[in-house]
Amino acid sequence: MTQDTRAAGPDGPASDALLKLGRFFTRWDETDDGRAVFREGGRKGDSFYRDRWSHDKVVRSTHGVNCTGSCSWKIYVKDGIITWESQQTDYPSVGPDSPEYEPRGCPRGAAFSWYTYSPTRVRYPYVRGVLLDLYREAKQRLGDPVLAFAEVAADPGKRKTYQQARGKGGLVRTSWAEAIEIAAAAHVNTIKTYGPDRCAGFSPIPAMSMVSHAVGNRFMQLIGGVMTSFYDWYADLPVASPQVFGDQTDVPESGDWWDSTYLMMWGSNVPVTRTPDAHWMTEVRYKGTKVVSVSPDYADNTKFADEWLPAQAGTDAALAMGMGHVLLKEFFVDRSVPFFHDYVRQYTDLPFLVALTEHPDGGGLVPGKFLTAADLDAAESSTDASGPAWQGAAGNSPFAGKHAAPEAGAGGDAAGGRADADFKTVLWDAATGAPAVPNGSLGFRYNAADEGKWNLDLGDIDPALSLYGLPGSTTAEIRLPLFDDPAGAGTTIHRGVPVRQVAGRPVTTVFDLMLAQYGVGRDGLPGHWAAGYDDAATAYTPAWQEEITSVPAEACARIAREFAANAEESGGRSMIIMGAGICQWFHGDATYRAILSLLLLTGSMGRNGGGWAHYVGQEKCRPITGWISLANALDWSRPPRTMIGTGYWYMHTDQWRQDGYSADALKSPLSEGSLDGLHTADALAKSAALGWMPFYPQFSANPMDVADAAEAAVDAGTAEDPASYVATELKEGRLQQAIEDVDAPANWPRTLVLWRSNLFGSSAKGNEYFLRNLLGTHNNVMGTDNDGVEQRPVDVTWHEDAPEGKLDLLVSADFRMTSTTLLSDVVFPAATWYEKHDLSSTDMHPFVHAFTPAIDPPWQAKTDFEMFELLARELSRQATGHLGVRKDLVSHPMQHDTPGQLAQPGGHAEDWRGTGIPGVPGRNMPHFTVVERDYTAIADKLLSVGPLADSKGFTVKNVTYRVRGEVERLGRMHGVMSHGPAAGRPAIDTDARLAEAILSFSGTTNGALAVQGFHELEKRVGKKLADLAEGSEEKRITFAMTQAGPQPVITSPEWSGSETGGRRYAPFTVNIERLKPFHTLTGRMHFYLDHDWMRDVGEQLPNYRPPLDMHRLFGEPKLGTTGELEITVRYLTPHSKWSIHSEYQDNLLMLSLSRGGPTVWMSPGDAAAIKVADNDWVEAVNTNGVLVARAIVSHRMPDGVAYVYHAQERTIDVPKSEATGRRGGIHNSVTRLLVKPTHLIGGYGQLSYAFNYFGPTGNQRDMVSTIRRRSQEVTY
Amino acid sequence: MAPDVGVLDVVLWGVLPYLMAVILVGGLIWRYRYDQFGWTTRSSQLYESRLLRIASPLFHFGILAVLAGHLFGLVIPMSWTEAVGMSQEFYHFNALFVGGVAGIGTLGGIILLIIRRRTTGPVFMATTKNDKMMYVVLVAAIIFGLWTTLASVFLGGHGHNYRETVSPWFRSLYILQPDIGSMAAAPFSFHLHTLVGMALFVIWPFTRLVHAFTAPLHYIFRPYIVYRSRDRQQGSTPVRRGWSEVGLADRERDRR
Repeated sequence: MTQDTRAAGPDGPASDALLKLGRFFTRWDETDDGRAVFREGGRKGDSFYRDRWSHDKVVRSTHGVNCTGSCSWKIYVKDGIITWESQQTDYPSVGPDSPEYEPRGCPRGAAFSWYTYSPTRVRYPYVRGVLLDLYREAKQRLGDPVLAFAEVAADPGKRKTYQQARGKGGLVRTSWAEAIEIAAAAHVNTIKTYGPDRCAGFSPIPAMSMVSHAVGNRFMQLIGGVMTSFYDWYADLPVASPQVFGDQTDVPESGDWWDSTYLMMWGSNVPVTRTPDAHWMTEVRYKGTKVVSVSPDYADNTKFADEWLPAQAGTDAALAMGMGHVLLKEFFVDRSVPFFHDYVRQYTDLPFLVALTEHPDGGGLVPGKFLTAADLDAAESSTDASGPAWQGAAGNSPFAGKHAAPEAGAGGDAAGGRADADFKTVLWDAATGAPAVPNGSLGFRYNAADEGKWNLDLGDIDPALSLYGLPGSTTAEIRLPLFDDPAGAGTTIHRGVPVRQVAGRPVTTVFDLMLAQYGVGRDGLPGHWAAGYDDAATAYTPAWQEEITSVPAEACARIAREFAANAEESGGRSMIIMGAGICQWFHGDATYRAILSLLLLTGSMGRNGGGWAHYVGQEKCRPITGWISLANALDWSRPPRTMIGTGYWYMHTDQWRQDGYSADALKSPLSEGSLDGLHTADALAKSAALGWMPFYPQFSANPMDVADAAEAAVDAGTAEDPASYVATELKEGRLQQAIEDVDAPANWPRTLVLWRSNLFGSSAKGNEYFLRNLLGTHNNVMGTDNDGVEQRPVDVTWHEDAPEGKLDLLVSADFRMTSTTLLSDVVFPAATWYEKHDLSSTDMHPFVHAFTPAIDPPWQAKTDFEMFELLARELSRQATGHLGVRKDLVSHPMQHDTPGQLAQPGGHAEDWRGTGIPGVPGRNMPHFTVVERDYTAIADKLLSVGPLADSKGFTVKNVTYRVRGEVERLGRMHGVMSHGPAAGRPAIDTDARLAEAILSFSGTTNGALAVQGFHELEKRVGKKLADLAEGSEEKRITFAMTQAGPQPVITSPEWSGSETGGRRYAPFTVNIERLKPFHTLTGRMHFYLDHDWMRDVGEQLPNYRPPLDMHRLFGEPKLGTTGELEITVRYLTPHSKWSIHSEYQDNLLMLSLSRGGPTVWMSPGDAAAIKVADNDWVEAVNTNGVLVARAIVSHRMPDGVAYVYHAQERTIDVPKSEATGRRGGIHNSVTRLLVKPTHLIGGYGQLSYAFNYFGPTGNQRDMVSTIRRRSQEVTY
Repeated sequence: MAPDVGVLDVVLWGVLPYLMAVILVGGLIWRYRYDQFGWTTRSSQLYESRLLRIASPLFHFGILAVLAGHLFGLVIPMSWTEAVGMSQEFYHFNALFVGGVAGIGTLGGIILLIIRRRTTGPVFMATTKNDKMMYVVLVAAIIFGLWTTLASVFLGGHGHNYRETVSPWFRSLYILQPDIGSMAAAPFSFHLHTLVGMALFVIWPFTRLVHAFTAPLHYIFRPYIVYRSRDRQQGSTPVRRGWSEVGLADRERDRR
C-alpha cells in the first residue's frame, strides 16, 4: 500500500520540511522519531510556578458552615498570608471494592479564603455609635459600668434612640476592653434586675466547630442564661424521628449509599447540598442500583435519576401513602413475605394491641390508647373496676393509679403489680392464644426489677400481627380521619378491623389499624374499602394520590412494587435519601411518617444500604458526650437552661399576636376536645405548665428571688422542699409563668449573644417581626396584629400594643459583616476557621478532624474562646458588689431518655391550671431545682473541668460515662488551676485544650468510655453489646491525631449503629442486630402514636396532610393569578448551589459564578402571566413582609412555585421596595413561624423533650407570596 | 540644509523620531523587567472565536504585508530598484495594488475585530481603556496610511513620490544625520501618517501590541515536545550548601 512509506515524521512533508529547516540552523538532541527535543537548562521561567506553589506552611483546617461535607482542607500560608486552600486527600480508605471519601470539597469551600482579607471582614470591635455616646456619658457620671448600662437601657428615650438605630449603620470602632465592658454590664444588669433566664444565647450546630460552640454555651449556662435550640428551629429536625424511632436523628454515612440496591432521593438535592458525597449516588448506579428522584422541580439530582416522580410541592405524603397502599396490599395481604413479616413483628409496634374506644359523639369506635400491662392488671385484680386510672372521677389525681412513680422506679414494684406497668405494652401471643407483655417496652427501661429485660427478645412469644381470622376474633367498624381537602379540613372515613375483647375492652392490632388506614380491605371486614388501585375516590390508592400529586398512578404502584421487591430480595437494602425539601413543611412530620412506613414495612431500617438517610445540616456531633456535657457546664452545675428555639422566637417576637388560627384549624374531625379553642400561644403555655417543653423566662419573678423565697419557706418549715414550694405558688396563682404574660417588660429577653450564627440573615423565620418586636427598629411587617381575626389566646395576656424593642443589648461575634452584625449593638471581630483550634464531624462520613490556625487572627480579631474568656472575666469582675453568690431556681421539663418519659401515663393532656388536679413537679409540672451560682467565679469555672465530672460522670441517652480517670489525665496533661474557686481542677483554658477534653469525655473518641458505656447498657438490655467496642479500650483519639488526619470514630452507645470492623455506619443496626430496644413506648419503631393530642389532631397513624391553606388561615390571596399583573405562588426557600451549605452568599467568587444578588426562581408560565422577563426586578409581598429581587425564569421550575434561595444576605444588592419604600428584606422577610401543637407534647414516652431532639419546628415551606413585576428603576 | 526647514520641522523630523526610539526601546526594556506576566496578547478567544477566526488572520496577515511594503518602500533606495530595471510606473502600480489590497485587508480585519469587541459582551467587558486608546491610534495609522497610498496615486495627477522625500529621511535617521529637508518637503498626508505612526510606536511598549515582539515563530521550526534539564536552582530559593542534589541519576537521559 502507499500509506506510510515515508519515515515517521510528526505530521507530514510540510512539517518535516520546517523541522529540517530548524535543524539546519540549530543543533539539538532529539528522539529518533523527531518528536521530542532535549535541551539543557533554560527553566528560569519555572520559578514563577514553583514559587506560586511553595508555601511557608500548609495547615489542616475545615469550614464551620453547617455543611454536612465536613471536608478537611489544606490551607496554604506564604509570608504570613493565607494564599488559598485545597482538598485534603488523606481520609482513611473505605476498603476494597468501593469508592473512597477523598477527595472531598467543592467550589464553595475552595472560595472560603476570600473572606480572610475581604472587604466584608470585621476587623475591630464595634459598638452602635449612639449607644456608645449614651453609655460613656452615663459611665462618666455614675462611675460604674452596670449602673451606667442600667440607666441607658431603662430610659425610654435613650432606649428608643439606640434601638431604632439598629440596622442603619452607625457602628463605630472601639476597644475590646470597652466593648466587653458594655456586654458584661448588660448581662450583670439583666441578671440582677430581671433574672439570669432573661439572658439568651444562640449558636447553632456544634458539629461545625465544637469548641467555639461549647465555650459560649458553657458561659451562658454558668451564668444561668438560656440557650435556644437550632435543629428544631431550623426545621431540620424530622419530628417523625423521635416519634417513630425515639431518637433525634441517626442516619447512614454517605459511603453506605454504596451498599444500597434501590435508592430513592426524596426532597434532597444531593449534588447541590451534599456535593462531596454525591459521587456515591452516581457511582452506585454502576452496580445496577436504580436511582429514583422525587422533586417538584427538575432539580440537579433529578438529572442523575433513572426515574423522576415530579410530585407537586408539599404533596409527598400522598405519594407515599399510595405506595404504602400497594405495599400492604401486595406484600402483606395478597401474599405474606416472611422477611417483612418477621421484621415488623419484632421491630415495630405493628403487633401491639390498641384499645378501641367509643367516640363521645356516639358515632362508634375509634382507635384509642395502647393496651398496657396496667390494663391487664386492673382487669385481673378487680373485675368491677370502672376503668384505668386516668378515667377516674373528676377531681382525682391522675396519678392516683397504682403504677410505680418514676422516682420510685429504682425501688421496684411499689404496689403489688408490675413495675411501670403503664408503660408495658401488650400484644397477642399466637402461641398461647392470650395477651402477652413482651420485653423491651419503656416500662422495662428504668426500674430495678426489670434490669436485663429491656430488649427485643421475644422469647417464646409469637406475636400475632393481625387478629384477623384468629379464633374468637370478631369485627368492628371504626372511623378514621382523612385530610385530602386542599383547604385542610378533615373528613371521616369508615373502615373495619378484626377485634377481640381483652381486659374488658375491644382491641385490635396496629397492623389491622394500618390496613384500615391505607384502605387495604380483607374479606368480611365492615366499612368502605378501595375497589382497586384505580379507585380515585377512596383514600390512599395510587389513583387517589395521582389527583393530588400528579404522579401517575401506574408509576406510584410500580415504584412501590420495585422498592419492596428489592428489599425482599436484598434483605432490606432499599434506601430513601430524604431532606429539607419535604421535612420543612408544617406537616413535615406526617410526610416523614408516611415515607418511613415504606422502610419499616420492608425491613429496611437498621440495615447497611437500607433505611432512611435524612440529611439536613451538620447535625452529627460525634463526640457528643464531651461536647454536650462541657457545653452545658454539667461539670459545675445542673441542670442547664435549654430552650426550644421555635417556641422562644414565636413568643418573644410576638408572631403569636399575628397568628390568626388555632389548633381548631388543624384538628381531626374525630377530635375529642383536647385541642379545642387552643391558640398556639396557649398551647405553648400549656406545654410549659405541664412540664412538656421548657419556656424561659420561667416566671414573672426573678428566679433568684424565687429561690430565696423557696429556701426561706423550707427553712420556716412551710414547704417540704423548694420544688413543692414553687408548685404551690404556681398552683395558687401567686407565681405566674412568664409565658402567660410574655409581653410584660419583666418577661422580655434582655440580652442576646450570637456567635457562629447569622440569625437575622439566615434562620429568623418572620424576620420582620424580629426587627419590629424584638429589636424595635424599622421593619416591613405588612399586616397588623390579629388583623380581622377574633382568635386570641386565653391564657396568654393580650396587651393592646405589642412591645417594640425588647432586647437591651444584641451582641454578635462574626468575621464578616452580615445582616446580623448590622443589627447588633456590639460586634466582636471573630477569628475565621483558618485562625483557631476546633473540631468538626458530620453524619456523612465517620471521621473527626481538626481546625488548626493557619495564621493568628488578623487585625483585632479573636477566637470565640478568647472572646468568652474576656467576657467571663469582665462579668466576674463586675459581679462583685452587684451579684456575688446567688441561688437560682431552674425550671426544666421532663426529659427524653430519663424517667421523665414515664411522667404522664397514657399521654393525657390534663392541666393542673384551673382544675382540681394538683401540680406535682416532675409529673405534670416541670422539675424545679435550686442551683448555686458564684457570679464572681464564672471565668474560673469556664476554664476548668468542674467536680461534678468526677462525682456524677456524664450521662447521654441514659448511659453514664465514668470520667474520673479522664479528668485526672487531663489535669496531668494540662495542669490544674493553682488558686481561686477552681483550684486543683484541670485546666481547659485554651481552645486546643477544650478540644482535647471533648475528645476525652466521649465514647466515640475514647475507646475506654465506649466499652464502659456498653457494659453499663448491657446490664439494662441483658444482651451482649460491649464486643462492639472491645479491643478499642486503649484507643484514644487525641486532638493532635485529628490535626494529623481525619480519624475514624469508635463504635459507642452514644449512637445506634456500628463502625466495628471497618463497617459503613448505618443507624439502628445495633437495635436490629443486638435486640436493643428503640427509645420508644413499645421499644419498637412506631406506626401508631396514641397521645391525646396526636389523636385529636388526627395523626395517630401515617397519613397525608396537605400544605396549610394560607388563604384560610391568614387571609393571603388564593394561589394563582388575580387578574392583575400579580401571581400568588408557593414561596419556597431551598438551599442554593452558590451559598451556604457550604458557603455564605456574599462571597465575591460565588457571586461572580452565579447570577449574583437576590434572585427569585420562577417558571416560564408564571413569569409570562405577570409579564416578567428573565432578570427583571420583582417584588414578593405578603402579610409578613416584602422581598425585592431579580427574577430567574427557568424551565426547571414548575408552575405555581417560586424558589428564593436561603440566606441571601441583605448586605448584597437589596434595593428599596415599592411596597413600603424601605429596604426590601431577605428571604425570611416573607416567611413567619407556624407552630404545630403536636410538636409540643412532652412527658410521655418518646414524645418527651430533649434539646434539639424533640420540639416544635420552625417550618416555613407552607408560605405563599404574591409576586409582581416592579419598576425596573431601583434605588438603594 | 534647505532654507525652508523651520523649527517645527526640526522638532518633528529631527528630534521626535529619536525620542520615539528611546521610549520604544526603553519602554520595552522596562516592560520586560517589570511586567513579564502582563506581556501578553490578552487573548479573548475564550469569549468569542467565530468572528475572531476570520478577522484575526485577516488583520495580522494584512499588517505583515503592510510591514513588508513599508520596508520595501522605505529601506530600498529608488536607485536600487531602478538599477534592476524596475520602472517608476511598475513600482507605483505594485505599491498601489499590493499595498492597497493589504491595507484594505488590514482595515477590514481591524473593523471586524472592533465590531466583535464592541458587540460581544464578555469581550467588551475584558476591554480596558488602554486597549481603546491603542485601537484609536492603530486604526488612525492604518487609515492615514491607506490615504497616503491612495492619495499618492489619485490626487495631484501623478502623485507624490515619497521615495524621494520620506524614504531618504527614514534611512538618514539610522546614520544619525536626519535629512529633515526631504521629509519637510513631503505633503501633509505623509506627515500625518508618519506622526501617527510614531505615536503608535510610542505607545507600543505600554499596550498589548508588545506581543508582536514575542511571536513564537520558532515553534514551527522545532518538535512539539521539549525536555529541558533542571537548573541547579529551582524557584527563587537559593540552593543551600551541604546537601547533595536529589535525583542526579535520573537526569542522565537514557539514550535508547
